[in-house]
Amino acid sequence: MSLLATTLRRTGRRFVSSLPALFGVLVFTFLLMRVLPGDPAVFFANGGSSGKEEIEMVRKQMGLDKPVPEQLLLYLRDVGTGKLGRSLTTGQQVTADIQQRLPASLELTFSALLIALLAAVPLGIWAALKAGSFIDHAVRLFCVVGVCVPTFVSGLLLVYVFYYMLGIAPDPTGRLDVFTSAPPHVTGFLLIDFALVGDGAGWWAAFKQLMLPAFTMALFVLAPIARITRASMLAALGSDFVRTARSIGLPAWRIVVTYALRNAVLPVLTILGIVFSTMLGANVLVEKVFSWPGVASYALDALLASDYAPVQGFVLLMASIFVLVNLVVDILYSISDPRISIE
Amino acid sequence: MKTQRLPLFQACAIAIAAALCSAPASAQTRAETMRFVTGGTVNTLDPTMLGTTREAFTVGMSTYDRLVSFGKKKQGDNWVFDLDKIRGELAERWVVSPDGLKITFTLRKDAKFQDGTPVTADDVKWSLDRAVTAKQLGAAQLLTGSMTSADQFKVIDPATIEVTLPKPDRLALPNLATVYPIIINSKVAKSHATPDDPWAQAWLKEHTAGSGAYSVESFKPGEQLVLKRNEAWNRSADGKPAAFKRVIAQTIPEAATRANLVERGDADLAIDLQANDAASLATKGKVKVISTPQYNAVSFISFNTQMKPFDNVKVRQAIAYALPYDDMFKAALFGRGKPLFNATWKDGPPSADFPIAQPVKLDLAKAKALLAEAGMPNGFETTFSFNLGQANVAEPMAALIKESLAKIGIKVDIQKLPDAQMSTLINEKKAPFFTENIVAWLPSNDYFYRNFYTGNQRWNYSSLNDPKLVEIAEKARFEADPAKYAAYAKQLNAMAFELMPQIPIWQASQDAVMVPSLDGYVYQFHRQVDFRDVARK
Repeated sequence: MSLLATTLRRTGRRFVSSLPALFGVLVFTFLLMRVLPGDPAVFFANGGSSGKEEIEMVRKQMGLDKPVPEQLLLYLRDVGTGKLGRSLTTGQQVTADIQQRLPASLELTFSALLIALLAAVPLGIWAALKAGSFIDHAVRLFCVVGVCVPTFVSGLLLVYVFYYMLGIAPDPTGRLDVFTSAPPHVTGFLLIDFALVGDGAGWWAAFKQLMLPAFTMALFVLAPIARITRASMLAALGSDFVRTARSIGLPAWRIVVTYALRNAVLPVLTILGIVFSTMLGANVLVEKVFSWPGVASYALDALLASDYAPVQGFVLLMASIFVLVNLVVDILYSISDPRISIE
Repeated sequence: MKTQRLPLFQACAIAIAAALCSAPASAQTRAETMRFVTGGTVNTLDPTMLGTTREAFTVGMSTYDRLVSFGKKKQGDNWVFDLDKIRGELAERWVVSPDGLKITFTLRKDAKFQDGTPVTADDVKWSLDRAVTAKQLGAAQLLTGSMTSADQFKVIDPATIEVTLPKPDRLALPNLATVYPIIINSKVAKSHATPDDPWAQAWLKEHTAGSGAYSVESFKPGEQLVLKRNEAWNRSADGKPAAFKRVIAQTIPEAATRANLVERGDADLAIDLQANDAASLATKGKVKVISTPQYNAVSFISFNTQMKPFDNVKVRQAIAYALPYDDMFKAALFGRGKPLFNATWKDGPPSADFPIAQPVKLDLAKAKALLAEAGMPNGFETTFSFNLGQANVAEPMAALIKESLAKIGIKVDIQKLPDAQMSTLINEKKAPFFTENIVAWLPSNDYFYRNFYTGNQRWNYSSLNDPKLVEIAEKARFEADPAKYAAYAKQLNAMAFELMPQIPIWQASQDAVMVPSLDGYVYQFHRQVDFRDVARK
């Protein structure tokens, strides 16, 4: 069977088998939100003179006056028809909110992941090549510091140095300077949208705005990627085929890149999938510090306010992304090592 | 007739001048724009919607007019709103009938909605009807001014509307200046109404149809809102349009970032910084910090008077003498605000105002004696709850309270709760001992007592149930004679001290931090910035 067909069949099967899990997540989050203490109706009926009547009105508006099983059925029906309910914190439909905010989170996460990869993979390889040396220890120290410092601390520190003291970075608020007009909405990724309309100045503004939060995020995930790269490179470099390659006198770069790295890349891919999914959720502090209008800070605000619909929507989104990322990693696997797709 | 030709060099001069002028045009838009940064979000364009955030109030103030608005007065060096000085906004003038039961408003002839149609008495009636009948926040507020039914509003002619009251009510007129009784373009609103939604609430949440100083240019909930000046609007105190061409209200959750932005001059104004940030910005002197004690707000330590052991007034009094007031004020607020403790009263309360400084101070011996009198010489255990949203202030406070009460044998367990959970606990009257803030838009003495010390609703934090206090507060409400009113008010103040359902501790300052070029800031009843007040010098 051809590689493509195998991959597709595997992907399809994996996708179908993850549907029950998604459904479980949906029901579980729904029930979890309802057993959490805190009554959203009381919180939102917060006007200077709201009494019992206002609270009841909000409860009715949110559909919380019905018994829980009925609420669940109504919610499932809504989700089935593509609706996720209305957020009281922003006053918008959750689907609209997520549509607007997901590109912001994804753009940030992809950029951070790219930066992390560009930094961590060479660092890991370098550390593996010089295992046990001063460089190895220095890389390890760097990674430990990156992972130890919470993102809001490194974020605020970067803001302090690059914005407040040096004044090189633009003000750390959102995806675009308030005086720059946004590009026409195509993908929602500002860098792509600006590039599509050929607006160089806008692209540069968006790029500058993205750098600090992306670096903050990248610092945080540098460690796992670098460590895994180092470990699997070490294993590959110590293997028989590398020894053979060395013994027949192949050039060093060829041994490292073609023989060692290609074989060492699988574990890195695995960790990338996990890192990506956690980043999307763990973005929350970075999004807060940089007023980044992403999904994670949106969900946190909603959680604090016991605003059910956005939290449920967010968890469902995260679960779906997790499934999707796993699928993508699966596909990349079979490309990088065709043996894996043989069943 | 001979046409005069422009000499060449003059033409050149004009061309150069034009070129020079167009260069700083972009800089000029920056000067004509105000960038306001806040931690909260605007979640609706209709300020009457259930669940409206405080930030949305300020938008409603700018995009809509009301019949009347508050004047301003000096408090120390700062300007604050003046409850007693009402001026016309859409109303040119008004007449109160001698018996106080009818207020007749004459509308300004030049007032137009943003779509260019004139504001008529029909619009006013529709809007006020909506405020008292639709399911939104306005009804409960207007009730405090004796306006409860659409029958009370009558159109006399296209420029005249009459409001009838069941009893003369001192708060009827001020109520019309608050954020809820906005005057809406009824023709536009009605065209978006549906049988299920006769008051167009769904549409108005995302659109505005007002006559206010600004219109909405763009609105991204949770991110930012851009307002554009309505050039036809001339209802500021001096009869001019609003000073800024554009206002950008931006949500920036991180307080430290807001402080940095204002300090670097990238943002113009912020009001909700942390007390320590405001304090350090004030000492650096790069920005202007206007610190106004929130004279219509009070921070409390409250008891649940229906719960043991706080149903015993001696226990409440004991705690009132065991709180480390001075330390709390320093640790929690950096001394920024007006303390409401350490006073001495000679015979009864010295003033008819609310709140007034209480004659309590840290006196552990007295506290111990009172606790013994209450029959609990060895103290008891309790929990002290506060809202996570107020942790900056409440956390140091709670630690000091715990430490101090331990000295008289009361063991305190500190409970930090997310905002929604805390509201629920308070609403269900399950918190025994906690701290909260109250705000009254119309800070008259009886209004405070009626809203926060009587009834079974959430705002009666201490669940106080004292028939005599209810009776006096109700009498005070309709008392027209200022001397008699003051006597009632003093009596209420005295009762609150005797019963000690809550201990007022301070009025925290609202720190408005702004770039030095900004001027005209007024502390407003809704504790937000009224964009129409501020201008660049």
